[in-house]
Amino acid sequence: MTCRRSLIAVLCLVFGVAARVCADEPYPSRPITMVVPFPPGGVADQTARPVAAAMEKALKNPVGVVNKTGAAGAVGMQSVATAKPDGYTLLLALSSISIIPEADKLFGRQPAFTVDQFAPVALISADPTILVVRAESPWKTAKEFMEDARKRPGQISYSSSGVYGTLHMAMEVLSHAANLKLRHVPFAGGGPALTAILGGHVDALASGPSVVLPHIKAGKLRVLAGWGDKRLAALPEVPTFKELGYPDVEFYIWAGLFAPRGTPEPVLQKLRETVRVAVHDPEFKSAMAKLETPVTFKQGEEFKQFFEADAHRLAEGVKKVGRIETK
Amino acid sequence: MVETFQNLYLGFTVALSPPILFYAFVGCVVGTLVGVLPGVGPLAGISLLLPATFGLDATRAIVMLAGIYYGAMYGGSTTSILMRIPGEAASVMTCIDGYAMARKGRAGAALAIAAVGSYIAGTVSVVGLMFLAPPLAAFALKFGPPEYFALLLLGLLVLAYMSGGSMLKSLAMSALGLLLGMIGIDQMTGYFRFAYGLGELGDGIGVVPVAVGLFGLAEILATAGQATHPIVVKPRLRELLPSRQEWRESAMPIGRGTVLGFLIGIVPGSAHIISSFVSYAIERRLSRHPEEFGHGAVAGVAGPESANNSATSGAFVPMLALGVPSGPIPAVMLAAMMVHGVSPGPMLITQQPQLFWGFIASMYVGNVVLLILNLPLVGLFVNLLRIPYPVLYPIIIVFCVLGVYAVNGSVVDVWIMVAMGLLGYVLRKVGFETAPIVLGVVLAPLIEMSLRQSLAMSDGQYSIFASRPIAATLLGVGLVLLILSLRPLVSRTADWRARLALAAKGEES
Repeated sequence: MTCRRSLIAVLCLVFGVAARVCADEPYPSRPITMVVPFPPGGVADQTARPVAAAMEKALKNPVGVVNKTGAAGAVGMQSVATAKPDGYTLLLALSSISIIPEADKLFGRQPAFTVDQFAPVALISADPTILVVRAESPWKTAKEFMEDARKRPGQISYSSSGVYGTLHMAMEVLSHAANLKLRHVPFAGGGPALTAILGGHVDALASGPSVVLPHIKAGKLRVLAGWGDKRLAALPEVPTFKELGYPDVEFYIWAGLFAPRGTPEPVLQKLRETVRVAVHDPEFKSAMAKLETPVTFKQGEEFKQFFEADAHRLAEGVKKVGRIETK
Repeated sequence: MVETFQNLYLGFTVALSPPILFYAFVGCVVGTLVGVLPGVGPLAGISLLLPATFGLDATRAIVMLAGIYYGAMYGGSTTSILMRIPGEAASVMTCIDGYAMARKGRAGAALAIAAVGSYIAGTVSVVGLMFLAPPLAAFALKFGPPEYFALLLLGLLVLAYMSGGSMLKSLAMSALGLLLGMIGIDQMTGYFRFAYGLGELGDGIGVVPVAVGLFGLAEILATAGQATHPIVVKPRLRELLPSRQEWRESAMPIGRGTVLGFLIGIVPGSAHIISSFVSYAIERRLSRHPEEFGHGAVAGVAGPESANNSATSGAFVPMLALGVPSGPIPAVMLAAMMVHGVSPGPMLITQQPQLFWGFIASMYVGNVVLLILNLPLVGLFVNLLRIPYPVLYPIIIVFCVLGVYAVNGSVVDVWIMVAMGLLGYVLRKVGFETAPIVLGVVLAPLIEMSLRQSLAMSDGQYSIFASRPIAATLLGVGLVLLILSLRPLVSRTADWRARLALAAKGEES
């Protein structure tokens, strides 16, 4: 593996030098790097690899995925924020791209990057989170859950993928709108958070649908409601919080493609067109279908609006949580 | 029982079909390579090869990826023994006695015992996986943060047994390791700690750069710093195989390592590396010649190497029986199953018997393949020691740098490795052991996280540790151990008790 990686590194170096010599060539004339700011195997990585493969096919030009990890994604995102805006360095980011600068602000840190350093290219997937509880828990509906939570403030616990993480923020958005006080137990990732609820160590979890569906089907978990603006195709009987009378409770786990700000408009246009072709690629579709992650393609103005609304929601969420003081 | 064997027969018909056999073989070869190369662990190997399996059917893909996983545990011992560089994080303990054996000209024996121990552990633990998966998996889920904290605390107490020399020195080193482990984002609040504005330090200090630096680089610096070249006993061909004495000494450690590794493996968390640490400590405590540890004790290779292999099968228990990842590698494998349209979860065994039993059978086959693959390679690898130092050492340093860089693509990691190399060199000069630092770095974030999660669960009540039976039992055993380890300070005759307690703990954890 080391050999392969170093070979790629050497190739990149050679290509990099070559590219500087022939800068006037039409885009794309050399390999594109898609930075994934998380380790291999995560949601971002799993989305990036099929996207990159489909884009490669559409562009007839290599698109390589590079995992640049560190500081919960901040290292990789920062590297793209400051990369040359020539369309050869792209970023596959999740919602945390809007959370990290807010958290930095909260702690009085120099932000590693800001969201306006990126030009949104396209949204690839967006999954609403769903609220699950253990099958043997007393709550049959979201209403019962919330009433009980109001009766016993701070007694019902939930696990999350980490403090200020997406699963934490989803629960915060709900808690704030429904005036609940829940007990937060953060874990290092969505996997351990799921294990915790299956083991009965916490009472509830907000999660992406794909990872909990098998456990819902197996009768271990019960789903109470969803954060989407409409019901999920896979769970048509489960209401949304909007239907239940909380119009502001909306939350998605999404993955989108970004370029550094200042990337020329024709290049962005070409990239959007490529992603549009890529998401309709049958191989890509089947890869995503197997992950049970529906493709939600948005580009240009539409993605920009979605991104800004989401960033606003997350920023509000982070501010509401504030600095966490431990006892 | 009969049904199990019928199922296993079905599994073997799947596993021995030529295409599956081929992919198991490929997985084992890649796994061995991933294990041999320092830095690149099974996680990176599996993740990088995952896209290459998209075109395969589910059984083939899973069989190949699993082959990489357990194959890496075989390969990890190679560089540990020959060059004192852990090829894989779980092989850190093998560096100590394996390398000492190589220095004495017993490199071949150490490699062979590591391979055979891995084979026995791999095979026996699959039997455990086959018969015990459902009940054990349910038990593993009972391990929440409080239980995990108690288990880790027990692991930390093991530190007291790791040192052969001064207890004070060893505790000082583990304290240093724990402090290094505190660097990074506070997982409970999001504060950056001791990062000094370096984003890369936000995730903390990785085990790989620390281990490669402290063991590999420090070793090279120390050897290069000597006025006269150390004379390495060149291995002769007929000395490649372990002697009868060495086999005898490794039989029990392999057995204990297998059971221990499997049990620790099923507990969600960072299993392999902890299982090898605990196994090493137990072997040292049970040994009739504890003074040999650190100077080429066979048991110090046989125990940990068996434990880390058996932990692999253990880690598959919650994954296959419940669809719950017990660590990052099973998590990637679960993702791989989902990519291939297999929904992991409690229904897997009944809905996809062909996949489940084919997978089990392929692990039996894979372990045989690995043994056949690894034993002849022993002769080849040992010959690496014939390369003169002025040629070998620069090559090793290049491998260290490349390997560490490859993990995260981070130059900061390389600098950490260099700093650790210098630190390790200085510590060696003044006679400190460096293994406790690595254990501290591994345990600190886990202990801290589980302690604070437990307290978050109980709203700050420490009584949570006493009110949960598993946690309370584990803590009780830890307390007994602590008292026993303090007892020699008062009287020097209590050693058998300590041994007994450790044996009990081996069953407990």
